[in-house]
Amino acid sequence: MTKNPSYDHTIIPPCQAECPLHMDIREYVDLIAQGRVMEALQIIREGNPFPSICAYVCTHPCEDACRRGQVDNPIAIRALKKFAVKFGGDKMIRLEAETTHDEKVAIVGSGPAGLAAAYYLRKLGYPVSIFEAHSELGGMLRVGIPEYRLPREVLDIEVQRLIQMGAEIRTNSPVTSLNLLFDMKYKAIFVTVGAHQGLRLGIEGEESAGVVDGATFLREVNLGLKPPVGNRVGIVGGGNVAIDAARTSLRLGSREVKILYRRSREEMPADPNEIEQAIEEGVEILFLMAPIKIQSVNGQLDITCIRMEQEEPDASGRRRPAPVPGSEFHITLDDLITAIGQAPQVPKDFRLRIGRGSTIRVDPLTLTTNQKGIFAGGDAVTGPASVIQALATGKLAASRIDDYLRHRYPAISKEKRASMGDLLPRTIEMIRKFNRYEPPIRPSQERVKEFMPVELVYDWEGAVNEAKRCLHCGIGAEILSRDNCAACLTCLRICPYLAPFLDDRGEIQIAEDQCIACGICVTECPANAIAFRKPQEQRRVDEELEHVIESAAKSKSKPLIIGFCCQYGLYGTGALAGLWRETKAGIWIVPVLCIAKVESRHIVNAFKAGAEGVFIAGCDQQQCPRENTAFWTLQRMERSKKMLAQIGIEPERVQAFNLHASDKNLAEALDRFTQKIGELCLVSAFKKEMKK
Amino acid sequence: MIVAEQKSMEEIYRICSPYEKILILGCGTCVTVCDAGGEKEVSIIHSVLDAAQARTGDKPHIFSEYTVKRQCDIEFLEALKDKAGEIDAILSLGCGIGVQSLAEVFPDIPILPGVNTAFMGASREWGVWDERCVACGDCRLVDTGGICPITRCAKGILNGPCAGAKGGKCEANKEMDCAWVLIYQHLVHLGHLERMRQYYPPRNFHTILRPRRLIIKTEINPGGK
Amino acid sequence: MAKSLFEEKLNSGKFIVTTEVGPQKGTDTSEMVHQINLLKDKVDAINITDHQSSVMRFPSLGGCLLVAELCGEPILQMTTRDRNRLALQADLLFAYSRGIKNVLCLTGDSIEVGDHKEAKSVFDLDSVQLIRMIRTMESGKDIAGGCLKGNVEFCIGATAHPSADFIEPQLIKFDKKVESGAQFIQTQGIFDLDALSRFMQYAHQFNVKILAGIILLASDRMATYMNNNVPGITVPPNIIEELACVEKDKGLKKGIEIAVRLIKTIKEENLCHGVHIMAVGREKLVPEILEEAGIMT
Ligand SMILES: Cc1cc2nc3c(=O)[nH]c(=O)nc-3n(C[C@H](O)[C@H](O)[C@H](O)COP(=O)(O)OP(=O)(O)OC[C@H]3O[C@@H](n4cnc5c(N)ncnc54)[C@H](O)[C@@H]3O)c2cc1C
Ligand code: SF4
Repeated sequence: MTKNPSYDHTIIPPCQAECPLHMDIREYVDLIAQGRVMEALQIIREGNPFPSICAYVCTHPCEDACRRGQVDNPIAIRALKKFAVKFGGDKMIRLEAETTHDEKVAIVGSGPAGLAAAYYLRKLGYPVSIFEAHSELGGMLRVGIPEYRLPREVLDIEVQRLIQMGAEIRTNSPVTSLNLLFDMKYKAIFVTVGAHQGLRLGIEGEESAGVVDGATFLREVNLGLKPPVGNRVGIVGGGNVAIDAARTSLRLGSREVKILYRRSREEMPADPNEIEQAIEEGVEILFLMAPIKIQSVNGQLDITCIRMEQEEPDASGRRRPAPVPGSEFHITLDDLITAIGQAPQVPKDFRLRIGRGSTIRVDPLTLTTNQKGIFAGGDAVTGPASVIQALATGKLAASRIDDYLRHRYPAISKEKRASMGDLLPRTIEMIRKFNRYEPPIRPSQERVKEFMPVELVYDWEGAVNEAKRCLHCGIGAEILSRDNCAACLTCLRICPYLAPFLDDRGEIQIAEDQCIACGICVTECPANAIAFRKPQEQRRVDEELEHVIESAAKSKSKPLIIGFCCQYGLYGTGALAGLWRETKAGIWIVPVLCIAKVESRHIVNAFKAGAEGVFIAGCDQQQCPRENTAFWTLQRMERSKKMLAQIGIEPERVQAFNLHASDKNLAEALDRFTQKIGELCLVSAFKKEMKK
Repeated sequence: MIVAEQKSMEEIYRICSPYEKILILGCGTCVTVCDAGGEKEVSIIHSVLDAAQARTGDKPHIFSEYTVKRQCDIEFLEALKDKAGEIDAILSLGCGIGVQSLAEVFPDIPILPGVNTAFMGASREWGVWDERCVACGDCRLVDTGGICPITRCAKGILNGPCAGAKGGKCEANKEMDCAWVLIYQHLVHLGHLERMRQYYPPRNFHTILRPRRLIIKTEINPGGK
Repeated sequence: MAKSLFEEKLNSGKFIVTTEVGPQKGTDTSEMVHQINLLKDKVDAINITDHQSSVMRFPSLGGCLLVAELCGEPILQMTTRDRNRLALQADLLFAYSRGIKNVLCLTGDSIEVGDHKEAKSVFDLDSVQLIRMIRTMESGKDIAGGCLKGNVEFCIGATAHPSADFIEPQLIKFDKKVESGAQFIQTQGIFDLDALSRFMQYAHQFNVKILAGIILLASDRMATYMNNNVPGITVPPNIIEELACVEKDKGLKKGIEIAVRLIKTIKEENLCHGVHIMAVGREKLVPEILEEAGIMT
């Protein structure tokens, strides 16, 4: 009746599935919850070439998919990443790459897609040159996204690392012909020219002075050209560019900034948080409104607007806005910024096939264009999208170019999608509600004055508390050994979330999409038939205990006291170390990921190894994000106390801290405990003498 | 399901003490279900025994552990045969049936019972078991609304309640419901109170003449005489 | 012809009075003899208890022989707790042969409440089956069908519990006892006369004599103790209060007063056919109670 420990039945959680880079978010969030930030950063770096950039501007599709959102609100994944990047010391990381191939690759455009392709091609050992029309690298990261959202220092560091890796940079080098590049002995080309051409409103007077498109406006600001803006600025559009343009105008000194959007707030594609912040800063948003005519009068703009109304939803569920006849009105502005979208502008001489919205047509799986050796990706292919999508195509492009240059048939893997169902209402009911801890942001009055970052980084406690909220989708319990299972139904009876159920053949199953990996059944299963889908979750306590016992044996500290301490929350943030430094005796800590994983056996084994006292400390029942964990831990503790008493080990030698209710002064309580153990040791030594 | 309870560690340690190499043997069926002798309990007891000898500094025993699917069927015990040479005693966490099967299969090895076999019963909720059947060999549940008075009435009486119940609880154990009150209520519910009015003659204890043996196979004479 | 003197009295229509004497632990019967002598002419019959509350004592059968020797009318209390059907039949044969002809058939308190908690309880039969068994023996056969040499005849009694909180199953059992052949019923202690009346409305349809059980209480503490520890006995709160109201050493007096009041009312209102007084160790007070209740035999 033994199990094979080399299994891994982990299911990809929705966050990871939705992330274009498929980052192991669950893992790094968990590491943050334990306060292991450097390791978290390592995981992040494995999946993302430029994590610091994503930490600031990612559109986080992961958060939209996060199942915690069904309970209260999704985990603040992006903000946690920012925390890991900062506290993990991302700045210090140096990267190197070796050139192992002769074939040179040219990358046209240095937006995130281009930079990512360069990064991965360098890692694969190709000589890479990046051609950029502008004077600096970064594409929209440099010329689009305002500085208050992405400090340029962050971008510079990533670019610097890429240079360290040996990428050749050619700025101020607009590419006009791809054949020229082939002539320069480049064997493959990746075209990532982005989408920078602002779309036109198509109304009368659009050519008037004072009317500019959003992308151009932001580019000018970002290139330090300081475009003049008047006091009254209007922005047309509802996306992130519109919001960025509005907030940038404020920062340039405009007094009145109005956004005109033809639909209602629900339809607004911009990030809700950004909208919120813009309003806080004083941006006014006029919904269901569109300009229909612009007239330049004495250096001012007279805008004729019309009210819109929403039609009944069409087949796709989208409500189309329609003008309300006769509802025209006028507003007077100094400047009008149009931000209704951008299109790529691909030089004709590239001779690439162009499709809808002026985008380059490629094969989505191989990124190949109509020309041999030329690949394309990013906004130039998709139209305006996101940084993370651009990074993902960059990564894909690198491996496809590698395939091409190595004359390999591209190994196209079908994307693995998680099939995790939604949480059931009864599961949601049982999951403890903890609202999302938002990272701090700077007050609005302060932030409109300059281009300093708006959102700050979590402090240690905030990050840990936020990370603790993760539901650990896909690494929960499963009945690993059907052979062991005695169908005792213990799991079914004790699971707080009712995840185990009997299927129609009468076999016990654990619903993987309802289990949130609290581990109670794993520990309680009398047949050892249940295990975590991720085996390392399981072995941790045993390994840590063994480790502690070994080190304690070397140190010979007396009396030996072993404490099983939860590494999350209160204990995870380093407070643990402080706790035992404050106490006098030789206390050795076995870090555990939630005390619910401590078994009776562990407690007993500590005594077997010579411990004079054992304690368990963790979050109290109110703080623990999982239900009933303290209850079950105490059950087991009482059980082991009883058995230990029967072999002459006083029950007072086992104690729980914080589990019943939070112990106000833990260090003090721990001191009393160690004192008590000291006394018990004396008594038993005395008794031994007497016997002799 | 057979329900058993672990013996105290003190007793277990004591009965183990004469032997050096002891195999702690779990059973994967009933005693696993009642948290008395499954694989997990085996490892806990193993740990406790190790801890006990670590502290007393006695002549060291060597404990090992193993769990079979069912101790009561000797075929499952085959797997132990290669281990048998290296052990001096087996601490069985199986029920009394398991202990006896082991004794039969390993006549040279002392078998030490690690649990007290308690009763046949059902789990009420996690960690609580109730006795439900005494294997009387003469089932009368048809007349008692599916509630066994022989098991669940402290006196096992058949013709209605004694006069001892208070508040529906049994005179012998205030924690337990009076079986006859339950039977009455359930028969009323089923509309079968006449079953309780019937006279029940004394039980036929001949059916449980010990030791019992149940035979369902028919003797077939070879050759078609 | 009546089977016993007691049966004759039962059928005479007079108000019946019985009481009980509990044997001592040990062989010194002097106390018992004293009590029997005190009571034998004041009551119609004396019950001798059978290891009451499952506490081991001198046997009921022995006590009954004493009563007979002292020219009283004994009622043999017989529980099924300690003897299987062989032993029960044997004891009955012996009792009859020595002139003990009244038997009260009981299931008996559970071993759990007594002083030999580790003993094996027998309960081979229950009280209803015991009654039937006696009736079978009277027909000349033991219950295994074997022929009996010589006569057996008993006036059979049983118990009932008129104030049980679940009364219906008790009534069903009562039916069965009467159907099986019980001629008289000595009830559990009665404090609530309404419950007795309700019970009697039911019991009147049967040809059986009902003797209401009267318990002599000595204090509120004793009453509470009985509520918590003695199977089947429930002293209602108003009685406990009544006892609690009096001064410390007047409890017993109050208890007597309550018993007298109950007996008087039962007799005057003709609630049932008689009373069975359980003095619980204060047997010497029974004559006083009877006198005060105005009962002379
Ligand atoms: C104002 C604004 C805010 C945004 N905010 C966010 C956000 O918060 N989060 C998010 O995820 N996304 C955001 N986006 C979208 C995101 O920036 C883009 O989707 C992403 O940058 C696209 O990357 P890319 O590499 O395809 O193209 P780009 O980043 O557009 O890069 C293309 C580069 O190619 C260069 N180029 C063009 N033609 C040539 C040529 N012929 N020769 C050489 N170089 C050439 C351009 O100069 C440019 O540097 C925002 C976009 C804008 C405009
Ligand atoms: S109280 Fe009920 S269950 Fe208990 S012995 Fe009496 S009849 Fe049986």
